[in-house]
Parts: sequence; C-alpha cells; structure tokens
Amino acid sequence: MSAVFISINGQKVSARAGWTILRAAQAAGIDIPTLCHHPALAPIGACRVCLVEVTGQRTLQPACTFPVADRMEIQTESPKVVSARKFVLELLFSERNHFCMACEMSGGCELQSLGYRYGLDHWMYPTYTQKFQVDASPPYHLLDHNRCVLCRRCVRACAELAANHTLDLRQRGAHTLLCADMDVPLGESSCTSCGTCVNVCPTGALIDKRSAFMAAPNQVERVATICTQCSLGCGVSVVMHRGHVLRLESLWDGPVSGGLLCKRGRFEALADSRRRILEPLLKEKGRMVPVGWEKALAEAARRVGREDAASLGVFTTTRLTNEALGLLNRIFVQRLKAGQCGMGNSLVPAIPGAACAKMADVLESDLVLVVGADPAREQPVASFFIKRAVDKGARLVTVEREASDLSMFADACLPPGEMGIAVDLAQAAAKPVVFYGAAAQKREIEALRELQAKAAFIPLQPGVNTFTAAALGLNAAMDPAACRTLFVAAGDENGTFDAIAAQADPKAFVIVQACHESPLTARADLVLPMASWLERSGTFTNTEGTLLRAHAVVPPSGQSRSDWDILGRVAEKLGVDAGVVKKETPVCRI
Amino acid sequence: MPKVLIATDWLAACAGCHMSLLDMDERLVELLHHVTITSSPVTDLKVPPETGVTVGVLTGAVSNTHNAEVAKRMRSRCQYLVAVGDCATFGGIVAARNLCGTEAALRRAYLETESTVGGLIPDSPELGRPLALVTGVPEVVPVDVFLPGCPPRADDFYFVFSELLAGRIPVVLPPEHFRYD
Repeated sequence: MSAVFISINGQKVSARAGWTILRAAQAAGIDIPTLCHHPALAPIGACRVCLVEVTGQRTLQPACTFPVADRMEIQTESPKVVSARKFVLELLFSERNHFCMACEMSGGCELQSLGYRYGLDHWMYPTYTQKFQVDASPPYHLLDHNRCVLCRRCVRACAELAANHTLDLRQRGAHTLLCADMDVPLGESSCTSCGTCVNVCPTGALIDKRSAFMAAPNQVERVATICTQCSLGCGVSVVMHRGHVLRLESLWDGPVSGGLLCKRGRFEALADSRRRILEPLLKEKGRMVPVGWEKALAEAARRVGREDAASLGVFTTTRLTNEALGLLNRIFVQRLKAGQCGMGNSLVPAIPGAACAKMADVLESDLVLVVGADPAREQPVASFFIKRAVDKGARLVTVEREASDLSMFADACLPPGEMGIAVDLAQAAAKPVVFYGAAAQKREIEALRELQAKAAFIPLQPGVNTFTAAALGLNAAMDPAACRTLFVAAGDENGTFDAIAAQADPKAFVIVQACHESPLTARADLVLPMASWLERSGTFTNTEGTLLRAHAVVPPSGQSRSDWDILGRVAEKLGVDAGVVKKETPVCRI
Repeated sequence: MPKVLIATDWLAACAGCHMSLLDMDERLVELLHHVTITSSPVTDLKVPPETGVTVGVLTGAVSNTHNAEVAKRMRSRCQYLVAVGDCATFGGIVAARNLCGTEAALRRAYLETESTVGGLIPDSPELGRPLALVTGVPEVVPVDVFLPGCPPRADDFYFVFSELLAGRIPVVLPPEHFRYD
C-alpha cells in the first residue's frame, strides 16, 4: 500500500492509503475520542463521537470510518468539532438513564469519561422519562437497556467474534432496542454465554453478575495468564481488586484465540463452589488428621517407593502443568516403572505426517471438516472460529453420530458411514482444515489419512494438557483394582476420578493430590492439597502443539502448593532427579 | 473588605449535598473569615435575605411547585447561582419518579405500601403540588455554575467557593473536581 501524507491539527503525518483517519491519528499518537469503535471490531461510525473536520468536506466526518487521502487536512479538536461532540454526548446522556451514582461501571464507563472530557455538567434536553427492561435471564450476565447507548459493539462482537448472531437491534430511532434472536429473553435465546458482549460494552448496559458492584472499575488491576479449562489455552485477563479475583476478561493480544473466551473460560471457571482442601491430611486410626507437609511428603515417598512396580498405579488429570506431568513421568514411569499409568481423559489418535494448523488458519480455509468432535461443547472457542470461517464463505461438513450445536451451521452433516463423501468434498476444496476429536473411529482416522497432503489438521484433544500427558507415557493402563498403592493427581478435576474410590482395593493405600474435597479424597489415605489454576504458574502444550505459559495471579489457598512443587518434593525424597523445575514466574501485569 | 454573602437552600434533596458541604470541616472556619452564610436549611435562618446575596447554592431536583418557588426566590436574590449535586444539575435519583409517573408514585407511597392502612395522599393547600415531571434546576431558572456529583466531595465545594471568592467563575470544572458519582 502506498504512503499518503496528511496533516492532523497542522501536524504533518504519514499514513497508508486505505487507513482510516482514526488509525492514522493513533499511529501518530494523536487522540481522537471514540465510543462505538473497538479495535477488535469492524468500524461502523454509529455514535458520531469521533467526528472530525476534513477540509473540503461539507460536513464533519467520523474518523473511525473515513479513509485518508493524500494532502488531506484534518482538525480533531476545532470549536466546530468540539461543539458537535458535545451535542452528540448531550443526546446520548439525555436519552436513557445515564446517572452514574448507581451504576456498576462508574469509573470505567467510556460514556462517563467522554462526559468528563467535554465538561458535560448539564444538558439542554429534558430528563429521561422512558423506562426499559432489565434482562437478567442469562446465568452469568445481565442486560440493562436503560444504560444502553446503541453503539452496537455487542451486536458486532456476537456476529464478528463469536459468530453466533444472537444479538441485533429492533425498531428505529429512540425506540431502538437491543434484542436477542426474535426478541426473546437472552437466557432463552441462542446465546452461548461467551460474554464477549459484556467485555466490549462501553457502559453498564451489559455487566457480569458475579463481580457487579464489587469494586469500582478504576480500582482494579488486570493480570494476564491462560485459561486451562480445555485444550485450547486461550489468553485470559484476570481482573482483581486487592488480591481478590473479580472476573475474567478477554486478553485481546493474548495467545490462541486473540481475546475470545467461552462460557466455561469466562464464567464457569470462577463459579466453582466446591470446598478447597487447605492442609495435608493423613488417615490415622480411621480419621483424617492434618499433618505438616514434611510428614505428608515423607509418607507419600515411602509408600510409592516401597511398592512393587506391578501393583503401583498413577492416575493423573491432564489439567496439570507440563512441569508436573514431567515429574510424574520421572517418578512413576522412569524410576518406579509403575504397572498402571493412566490419565483422566481419552486421546485423539495421531495422524502421522499430517500438517498441524493453528486456530487462526481456520479463517483462511474454504472448507472445514469436523470429524468425531463436538467443539461447540468441548472447545467452544474453536467452534467460534469454525462459525467465523462459515461466515466468510467456507463450507462446513460435520461427520457425527448425533446432531451437535454446530450442525445448524453446517452445509452437510454426514453419518460416520459416509466418511468417503466428506473426504471427497475436502479433496475438492482449495484449503481444507480438518478438526478431529477423540470420538473419531479408526475407520474415520484412516479415511482422513487420504487428506494428509491436502488438508491442515487440528486435533481437538479432550482434557487440557492431554498432548503432554500422552507424550510422557501417562496413558498406558488404568485399572485401579490392580493396585495396592495408588497415586491420583486429581487436581481440580470434577468427578472424573470419583469412581476410583469404589474401584480401588479397600486395602490399597490411596494418595490423592487435589484442590477440592470429593468422594475420592474421602476415600484417600493421604491427601496433598494442590493450588488451583489461578494459584500456580507453569507451562501447557495446547492441542495445536503451542507452548503456553500460565501465571499465578493469587497466592495458594491455605497450605496448598503448586502441582510441580508437590511432585518435585516427592521426587527429592525418592532421590529422583527432578530436573529443572522453574521457580514461580513473575506475574504479568497488564 | 466586607464579607461575601452566601445563601444555600434545598429542593427535593436527600440532604447529602449539605452534609458534604459540612464535611469541609475546619476549612469552613477558614472560609467564614471571608464569607457570611446568611441562611441555609441546616441553620436557624432558612430564607435568603430580600436584600440579596452574592452566591446562592441550590441542591436537589425540582419535584413540586414549592421547589420551583424556592428556586425562583433564590435566583431573584442571588448574583451567581450554583446548582449542586446530580439532582440539581440533571434531576438525579429524584427523576427516577418520571419512569412511573407522579400519580403512580403518590399512590404507591401513600396508599399501596404494604404497611399502609387507610392511607391518604396529602393535599393540604400549604404543600407544594407535585409536578408532572421532575427536572433539574436549569429547566426552571438559569444557572451560572454546575457542580455535579452524588454528592460532590467537600473538596469540590471548597474549590468552587475558593474560585468564586477569587473572582473567577468555574464554568468548566477541572477533572479532579468533576464527577457524576
């Protein structure tokens, strides 16, 4: 693209042809106020707050959509511009209830800060008289129409980022209202509760229920880490107030998804109400009694160290860090050669020699094939990318036993028996991308091999750090009944290992490393309290094979310790070389 | 130099703005070296003198005919009128009544509350008549200085009084004294 030279407020600025005035100004460090504009969304020029004066133009033009041209002269704060902006703000403020004193967003509201910037201490229009509904039907967020400025950021986020197209506007002018689907309550709509709309809302119209009114938005701090709810590992920004986690927000420059989060990653990750285990517990005379870490670790090492290899079992959640899984491998696979090494979820069969794609590559494809996976349920953010590709014109073909939430977006839903048709369709496409999951049968995987040279593949691993756990030989065998000593690294897994409590030999010694109380910890003979996902740092290898770094954002609860810290100390007791276990990495403040 | 005369009054207000004014604490004493507060709702003398004052302060929204009269009286007796608080500047919390209408608000308050037995909507001729629409002060009389906030902080009051005493009219408040909440 060719360079153009423009002047902004008399300052000579170079820009590229095709840029908007706003982009050129931002590149030159000149601030133009915006309201409906959001860097992650396509500009639409709805709010008119960014109006600027362009020499030769009859009227003021919105900087967010107006393209630059060579020798263009622009004024961003001339009296005419300022008076127009104040006029726009007066209209916005007087339209609905924009009184800040009882608003959750006061202090972080973009409309409020514009009011301050332009000294809006009164307005000439009558005070608002119309009352709008508050829609609190979704589980984790609510929509207050009274605070809405109709900027359509949420509508665009729903369409462009989550590609779900739930939100839109109905009616016109002052009667315009945000609505879901054919005007049903949000909680009954096709909304997936990904919360992207809440994240982009400039006012208090869409707010998170959990953290509402818990801290003024200008008193919070944000810390970056990654979400470890599924095998994607999207970047996430943790919003905190005085050491307490309030909510999770998009990390727009984060890894994997570039700011997208799903219901699980944004809301459910903090909605865990299970009781935490706060200290090491050892069963003595039939009762669990608190013991210090030293005694607990010594007992763990003694028990696993003296057990015969054949009757020693290690079962792990794939929600552990690479560091912890590496230690499990060193202790149980390499040193103790445990007879039973299992992990909490299944593994996607490998397709040797297949080119692995990244999530962003999906947007460039012209055909997406989904085989034996249900991303809408298991890895929702992957389903957002697939739906975005469909919006861009890609065809979607699913091969599944029963209809999933993705089926309604698909061009063809084929039963497993018609795998050949799916492969033929992919062969005919220019840039096919294949998602395949653990439910894919051997026959289907073999059929996919025909596409090796043609398609890019993304395995959708169940669990979180499945890739690493399997690579380290932790998915060999899993029969709790065959063990006399069992080490279960349950982490924050919910229900996955509970069956072990009944399956294990009543005489077996069960060591459980877990975050929460469960039927398994009730059966256990020794419980090692583990730090939760927000309390430990470490690395993960996601389903694309990308190495991701998680950061501890809050200190561990009670005496709990990081997964790798506990296992490192067990290894030390056993005289196993723990390798290099990194110290807690510094927190990454945003 | 003679002291500057200041009068304050409230309309439909919660008294929070006047509490905030009193929150100036010892700075009030300092201020009183330069000003005389002729009247206020929290002193014995309630009505601004007919001879007039330099600065008039109004808090609260205009909710009934009495409020409108008080606002007009203050305007006619002061040189500079300061509208203080979100209610006086925009209508604030009091304007929430506009959402249901005056009639419904009166019925709910005096007849339909769960604890009311044989309720009666007050209609004594001594009382102001509720207006159909709650508004801020600028809808009734011209205002010279707006000090929004719910309530404005004591620092903000002190700033506005200091500016006025220095002969400057703070038409646009600096960011540190300008808040909506």
